[in-house]
Amino acid sequence: MKRNFLAIAVGALLIFIVCLLLFVFQVRKSEVVVVTTFGKPTRDVSEPGPHLRWPWPIENVHRFDQRVQNFEDRFAEGLTADSFNLLTSIYVGWQITDPKAFYPTFAGSSEPIAEAEKALDRMLGNVKQGVIGKHPLGDFLAPVGEGNKFADIEKEILGIIQAQVQANNYGLKIQFLGIKKLGLPETVTQQVFDRMQSERKVLADKSQAEGEADAQKIRSEADTKAAQLLANADGEATQIRGKGEAEAAKSLNVFQQNPELAYFIFRLAALEGSLKDRSTLIFDQRTPPFDLFQGISTNAFK
Amino acid sequence: MERNLQKNGLVNLLMLLGAGIAAFAVARYSNSLAGTVSVLFLGLGIFVAVVSWFQMRLEDSERLEKLELDELARTHGESALFETKDAEVLPARRSREQFERFFLPVFTVLLCLVEAGGAYFLWQWLSATTTEVEIKQPMPGMFLFFLLALVLFLLGRFSATFARLEDQRLLRPGASYLLLNAILCAVVGGGIIGVQAGFPKSDFYVAHALALLLALISIETLVALVLEIYRPRVKGKIERPIYESRLVGLLGQPEGLITTAAQAIDYQFGFKVSETWFYRFFERAILWLLPLQLFLLLLSTTLVIIEPGEKALLERFGRPVEGRVVLGPGAHFKLPWPIDKIYRSRTEQIQSFEVGLAPGAEGEEKRVVLWAKAHSKEENFLIANREPKSSESADDAAGKRTPPVSLLTGSIPIQYQITNLENWAYINEDSPSLLQDLATREIARYLAGADLNTLLTKGRLEASETLVARIQAAVNEHQMGAKIISAGLEDLHPPVKVAPDYEKVVGALQAKRAKILAAMAYQISTNALSGAQAFSIVNRAHAERTAREVGALAQAALFTNQIPAFQAAPSVYAQRAYLQTFARATANARKYVLLTTNTEDVITFDLQETIAQDLLKLKVPAVQNK
Repeated sequence: MKRNFLAIAVGALLIFIVCLLLFVFQVRKSEVVVVTTFGKPTRDVSEPGPHLRWPWPIENVHRFDQRVQNFEDRFAEGLTADSFNLLTSIYVGWQITDPKAFYPTFAGSSEPIAEAEKALDRMLGNVKQGVIGKHPLGDFLAPVGEGNKFADIEKEILGIIQAQVQANNYGLKIQFLGIKKLGLPETVTQQVFDRMQSERKVLADKSQAEGEADAQKIRSEADTKAAQLLANADGEATQIRGKGEAEAAKSLNVFQQNPELAYFIFRLAALEGSLKDRSTLIFDQRTPPFDLFQGISTNAFK
Repeated sequence: MERNLQKNGLVNLLMLLGAGIAAFAVARYSNSLAGTVSVLFLGLGIFVAVVSWFQMRLEDSERLEKLELDELARTHGESALFETKDAEVLPARRSREQFERFFLPVFTVLLCLVEAGGAYFLWQWLSATTTEVEIKQPMPGMFLFFLLALVLFLLGRFSATFARLEDQRLLRPGASYLLLNAILCAVVGGGIIGVQAGFPKSDFYVAHALALLLALISIETLVALVLEIYRPRVKGKIERPIYESRLVGLLGQPEGLITTAAQAIDYQFGFKVSETWFYRFFERAILWLLPLQLFLLLLSTTLVIIEPGEKALLERFGRPVEGRVVLGPGAHFKLPWPIDKIYRSRTEQIQSFEVGLAPGAEGEEKRVVLWAKAHSKEENFLIANREPKSSESADDAAGKRTPPVSLLTGSIPIQYQITNLENWAYINEDSPSLLQDLATREIARYLAGADLNTLLTKGRLEASETLVARIQAAVNEHQMGAKIISAGLEDLHPPVKVAPDYEKVVGALQAKRAKILAAMAYQISTNALSGAQAFSIVNRAHAERTAREVGALAQAALFTNQIPAFQAAPSVYAQRAYLQTFARATANARKYVLLTTNTEDVITFDLQETIAQDLLKLKVPAVQNK
C-alpha cells in the first residue's frame, strides 16, 4: 500500500511537472516573447516571469532578445567627395521595439536576429556610401574642433537609417551608430608608405645638413676668436716692448760721456752676440791674436 | 498464453511506433540534435518489433496446425492419409521454415545496411552542423524526453521480465529496444540539461555518441551474420533470432552486466560477495537510491556560493528577484533550480581586449618589441598628415594623388572592470563586443585628428588619458556599467615598412648632434690654446721689457765704471777688452787660420774633422804691408 502511494505520488508529480511545462512559459528580463496561436501572432510578452499559454501545437512561443543588439557591417571601400578611396566599417546598436511586427518580418528564417541584421547590413551599406560620398576626406581626418565632422557624419547616417527602418516597419529601432574603423585600400596604403618614407628622408637629410652647417659655423667662430686673441696679444706685447725700449733709452746719455769707448764696447758686444751659435771662422794671420803667427817659421820649431 | 505473447509483441510495436513519432515531434520542437538521432534507434526498434511479431504469428500458426494434426491423428487413427511427408501436410511449419531460411537473413542484411548507412549519414550530418545548436523550449523538451524514457522503461521492463519468465525469446528483441530507447531518451534529456547548465555542446556530443553507438550495433550485426553462415545447425534446437542484438540487450538491461561482474568478483574474492547483505541491499535499493540522489542534487541547488571577485544575478522564473537582484561574494540561499537561476560574472576581475590586433593574431608575447620587426598581425590606423608636403606636389603633378594621411600601426590594450552588473547584463545583448566597438571608434576618431610626432613622443601619456576619458564617456552614455581603467598606447608605432626610415631620422639627428659636438670640442680647444698663446706672448713681452730696461741700466752702470779704466790706458784697455771678448766669443766657433808665408802648411786645430775642399781652394789676398 505504501509502495503504491509512493508510486502514485511520483506519477502525479511527474504529470504536474509536465502540465506545468505545457501550460506555462517563463520570460527572462532580457527577453521578449511572441505567442502565436496556430501560427498567427496573437500577443507579445515582455514582462519577465511565468505566463500561461495553451500547449503546443495550439500556441507556440517565440523568444527574442529585447536587449540592444550590436553588429558591425563589412569593412567596405567607397569614394569621398574629393575622390579618395576610403574603407569604413560601422557598428550599429538596434533593439526590438515591436515584437509583433518584428516576428512576421523575419520569422521565415531559423535565425531571425541574424536575418534582421542581414537586412540592416544591406540598407546600411547603401546609406553609408551615399553619406561618405558627400564629404571630403578632411571631414574624417582633422582634429576635433578643426573641421572634424566625424560625429556629424555618424548622425547623418543614423538619421537616414532610422527613417528607412521606421518606414519599413521592421518592428525594431536603431539606437545608435558609430564609425568603427577607417582604412585605405592596399595600393593606396603603399603610396602612403612611400610618401611617409620620403618625409622621413627629408627630415634625415635636413638633420645631416644642419649638423654640418652648425659644425662649420662653430669651427669658424672658434678660429676667428683665436685669431683675435693672438692679434690682441701681439699688439699688447709690442706696446710692452716699446715701453721697455723707452725705459732703456733713458740710460743712453751715460754712453755719451765717451762715445768712442761706447762704440768699441757695443762692437765687442755685437761680436760676442753674433758668434754665440755655431760659427765657422776663417782667419788669416793678420787678425789678432792670430797675428802672432806672422813671422813665425814652422821650420824654426822643428 | 500464446495470444498474450502476440498481444504483448503488438503492444511493444505500437509503443515503439508511438514513441518514435513523439520523439520526432519533441526533437523538432526542442531543436535537439541528440533527440533527432535517437529517433533512428526507435525506428530500428519498430522494424525489429514488426519482424519478431510476424515471426510470433508464424510460430503460433504452426503450433495450432500441429495441434489440429494431432487431434486428427487421434480421431482417425493411424492412416495412410497422415503418413505423408510434413511439408505436404504442415504448410504453416513450412511457411515458418521458409521465413527463417530466406526472409530473416535478408532482413538482417538490410538491418545491418540501415544501421551502417544511418551511422555514416548521421556522422556526416552532425559534422556539417554547428556545434552550438540553440535548444528551443528546453524545459518542455527535456521533460517530454524523460517522460518518454519512463513510459518506455516501464513497458520494456514488463516485456523483458515476461520474456524471461515465460522463456519467450521472440519478445526479447522488442523489449531490448524499448529499454535501450528508454535509456537513450533519458540521455537526450540529460544532454538538454547540460545545455541549460552552461555546457552548450553537450547535446552535440550526445548526438555524436549515439551515432557511434549505431555504428557499433551495425558491426555487431555484421559479425552475427558472418557467424550465422558457419553456425552448426542442430535439428529441434530453439535458436536465437539472428536480428536480435546482444549489444542492445546488454545496454537495455545493464543488470545482466552487473550480474556478470558480480560473478567475476565472487570468483576473484573466493567467496560470494554477491550474497552479502550490503550487495543485496544495494541491489534492492538502487531503484530508490537514484531518485533520492536526484532529489539531493536538486536540494543542493538551493545553496549558492559566490566566489570572491564574483557577482551574480538572481532570477526567479526569469524575473530579477526584488532586493536580491545582484548577489555579492558569500553563501546565499535560493529556491531550487529551475525556479531560481543565477548568472555569475567576474566583476572585480580586470578584463581586457586589444584594439588594432587582427583577428586570430594573438601570439606569443615577445620580450623585445621593435618597430621595424613585425611582432603581430596588426591593423593600420589613419592619422591626419601634418608633415611637410615633400612628395605630394610631385605626385599631384603626375596625376596620382596620395591622401593627406599617415598610418600608424599597433595594438592598444584596453582594460576595464564591470561596476554595474545589472546594466552590463540587461541593457546590451553583447556588452563586451559593444565596448570593443566603442573603444575602437573613439581611438579611430582621436587618431584621425592627432599629430603623429606628438603622439609618438611627448603626447603619448596625454593621449592615453584622453582616450580613457572618451571611452568612459561613451560607456556612460550607453549605461553599460563598466569602468575603463587604461588604454595603453605603448605599442603604437609607424608601420613596419616605414619604421626603418623613422630610425634613420633618429640616426641623422644623432649624427647632426655628433657633428655639432665635435665642432664644439674644436671650439673649446682652439679658444683655450689661443688664450694661452696670447697670454704667453704678452708675458714674454713683459719679460723682454724688463730685460731690456734692466740690461740698459746695467750697461750704463758698467760703462760708467769702464770710462776711468779706458782713460787711464786707452790702447791697452781696448786691446785687452778686444782679446778677452774674442776669446770668449770664438770659444765654441770652428776656426780656420790661413797662413800666407807657408802656403803648403795648413794648421788645423781640430784634426778630427776634415776641412771642406772648397776652403782649400780659397785664395788668400796678398799681404800688403802698411
